[in-house]
Amino acid sequence: MSAATVTSPRVDPPVTRTALPPRPSRLWPTLWALVVGAVVLAAAAGLSITWDELPALPGKVAGYLRLMFADPSWDKLPRALLETWRSISMAWTGAILCVVASLPLGLLAARGVGPAWLRLGLRACFAVLRAVPEVVLALVLLTVTGLTPLTGALALGIAGIGTQARWVYEAVESVQEGASQAVRAAGGTAAHVTRWAIWPAISPTVLSFALYRFEINIRTSAVLGLVGAGGIGSMLSNYTNFRQWDTVGMLLIVVVAATMLMDTVSGAIRRRIMEGARVRDVGRGA
Amino acid sequence: MRTAAPHVGAGHAPAPTARSSWPVELDRVCVTYPNGTRALRDVSLRVEPGEMVAVVGLSGSGKSTLIRTVNGLVPATSGTVRVGPHQVTALRGRALREVRGHVGMIFQGFNLAERVDVLHNVLVGRFAHTPAWRSLLGRPSAADRELALRALDSVGMLEKVWTRAGSLSGGQKQRVAIARALTQEPGVMLADEPVASLDPPTAHAVMADLRRINAEQGLTVVVNIHLMDLARQYTTRMIGLRAGEVVYDGPAPDATDADFEQIYGRPVQPRDVLGAGA
Amino acid sequence: MTAVDLAGRVPARPRHVVRTALAVAGLVAFTVATCLPAIGGVELDLGSIARYWRNGADKLAELAQPNLAFAPRTVAPMLETLQMALVGAAVAALLSVPLTLWAARATNPSTPARVAVRTVVNVVRAVPDLVYATVLVAMVGVGALPGVLTLVLFDVGIVVKLVSEAIDSSDHGYMEAGRAAGGTQTQINRVTALPQVAPLFANQWLYVLELNVRISAILGIVGAGGIGRLLDERRAFYAYGDVSVVILEILVVVVVIEVLSNLLRRRLV
Repeated sequence: MSAATVTSPRVDPPVTRTALPPRPSRLWPTLWALVVGAVVLAAAAGLSITWDELPALPGKVAGYLRLMFADPSWDKLPRALLETWRSISMAWTGAILCVVASLPLGLLAARGVGPAWLRLGLRACFAVLRAVPEVVLALVLLTVTGLTPLTGALALGIAGIGTQARWVYEAVESVQEGASQAVRAAGGTAAHVTRWAIWPAISPTVLSFALYRFEINIRTSAVLGLVGAGGIGSMLSNYTNFRQWDTVGMLLIVVVAATMLMDTVSGAIRRRIMEGARVRDVGRGA
Repeated sequence: MRTAAPHVGAGHAPAPTARSSWPVELDRVCVTYPNGTRALRDVSLRVEPGEMVAVVGLSGSGKSTLIRTVNGLVPATSGTVRVGPHQVTALRGRALREVRGHVGMIFQGFNLAERVDVLHNVLVGRFAHTPAWRSLLGRPSAADRELALRALDSVGMLEKVWTRAGSLSGGQKQRVAIARALTQEPGVMLADEPVASLDPPTAHAVMADLRRINAEQGLTVVVNIHLMDLARQYTTRMIGLRAGEVVYDGPAPDATDADFEQIYGRPVQPRDVLGAGA
Repeated sequence: MTAVDLAGRVPARPRHVVRTALAVAGLVAFTVATCLPAIGGVELDLGSIARYWRNGADKLAELAQPNLAFAPRTVAPMLETLQMALVGAAVAALLSVPLTLWAARATNPSTPARVAVRTVVNVVRAVPDLVYATVLVAMVGVGALPGVLTLVLFDVGIVVKLVSEAIDSSDHGYMEAGRAAGGTQTQINRVTALPQVAPLFANQWLYVLELNVRISAILGIVGAGGIGRLLDERRAFYAYGDVSVVILEILVVVVVIEVLSNLLRRRLV
């Protein structure tokens, strides 16, 4: 179409092969890729999955999706909304518990705040807590508080401490040394340093992480319902076991809508908090 | 790594040659951005094939917009832009991409993919001439590869062909970017503040490269620049832009300080010249 | 020091009394509402903790005596858990590449297509992992298949969201060069954008592999295969010594995988 493409290319003598530096060896990347691929294939082959049923799978799943969403049953909606609120309550109280516990613990575990033995001990505890699934914690707690939302809230609160406290001490350690030194130079105690140098610097981050914990808990609280802690998860589990697909469809819609709504609200507040922090940093805040 | 780039040419293969050099013609071009900024106001000009033209002006004067209307990266709000046999302002999609394939461009920030090796960065210049499946498979044709290597050789960067672009110095990056543009076998070469991120000796070397490409191949070159001495030393014609309007058009070597003051709209300052380099 | 009359010269302290009060009041009201059992809130029944804490303590005491003789029987299910985690992450990695490039502004300038992909991904992400597992077990039957499918759905949501946001928050000058050379978006993505963002992908793939080990350990509780099934079974028999072994094993494997992936991550970046 263009005039320039019509002219034939000039024939130049080829660049001599000797002028071209040798291409770096691709042997190791290729070998690694082959090893990873082989391991994945071996893992897939080792799973007890009847692979010849796989082609029929999409059709099967599509059939169930039609059962669930073609005509979801809205009869149980009021009950579902109540259970959703119960899950949100679980998530919120769990988040508060978790944040209240992790703040002092995380502060003590930060470098330069507590003694080394305490720091290492706490960090080991956090690592263990991070590795314990919430569901396992809930199963232990069930024997104390029974099949109630309180079990869920406690499980969320305790299981979250591992990660939340880690965020706190990481935030503390990323604070610039300057402010702390100024307070110490003026004769301040460790408590003064914490209140007037560390807290102002980390408070927006910590608040934002607290809300983020709530968002995580919203998802996990539905999971805890599956093992009997009440809330929307319990209801979903029951109706799935009854194979009442139209109600399951309605419940899934409620779960998705509630989660996305909470994410949006909490995300908007988090952005406000972090933006406020930035404005104050450059001293334009009024 | 040495900072001063050697002059291109000596001992190296000649650059891939343009099939033909193209004129550039803008007729009553206006560009208004969606936020209401009027970047170009009624600009008309013609650059003859084989000319080396400097577009001079302060930042915000519309230089970048002007040069980007030539290959359609910024669409003109009104008026027409012609490049060689094509009317850029009338083209869209595939046809526009095909024309861009014949218009080389280099940038202030080099615009290389830093984690990608030099060869594949240069092969970007063959995009418009490569079937999509070849790009998807990452298998350049022998001819494209040959063009890319020849372009790299012509800017003295052949030994870096397998190096990641991110580990090159600024001057080396700009030379790879020039090789990328040459690989397109362009009819016009556009350069948007090509030396603003470089130290003085390297800046002179890169300008000399552009000058040499223009002289040896008769390739049309349009270069945006804000430094008076570089414009005088390396280009033949100068177009001054102020607030989106052409306020000067004349031979570059004879442009006086008074002419620059007229373009800038303020007295000449020390930062308007680069100073002697290599 | 002479007393200087500062009164009237001190600028008024800026306060947002109303805003702060409203924020605090809202927070308190929400918290109280979540603790009212009458409207579905959490009943903070501290009495039950006081009454039954011994149950929990006994349980912990039993858990503190792992029955190591049980360990050999956990090997096969643990292996299945690891296989599920790996296969799930690998399938998700393959799916995530085109979807991510589709969902990022830098690599997909078409707004409708981008919004569509993002919406689907957000909906997928809003469903918790065990909920997928429960529903999928009911659909395709007990076993590793619903587990792997759960992990794939979960991982794709995370990778696409995090990587596409990371792509959008960084600078992509080479895109302009590709466009100026007449390239299509697909060519630019394949030749330059993909190698540029590969480390972002590698990082998140390792992260979801870690998460997968954690999740697939409990998927068995709802029948989706792996060591979780054993955990649930031994708990049903009140064999807490065995449960303890399983939990310990999960802890060890999770920590080992985390250490390994941190090592790999340092090498890749």
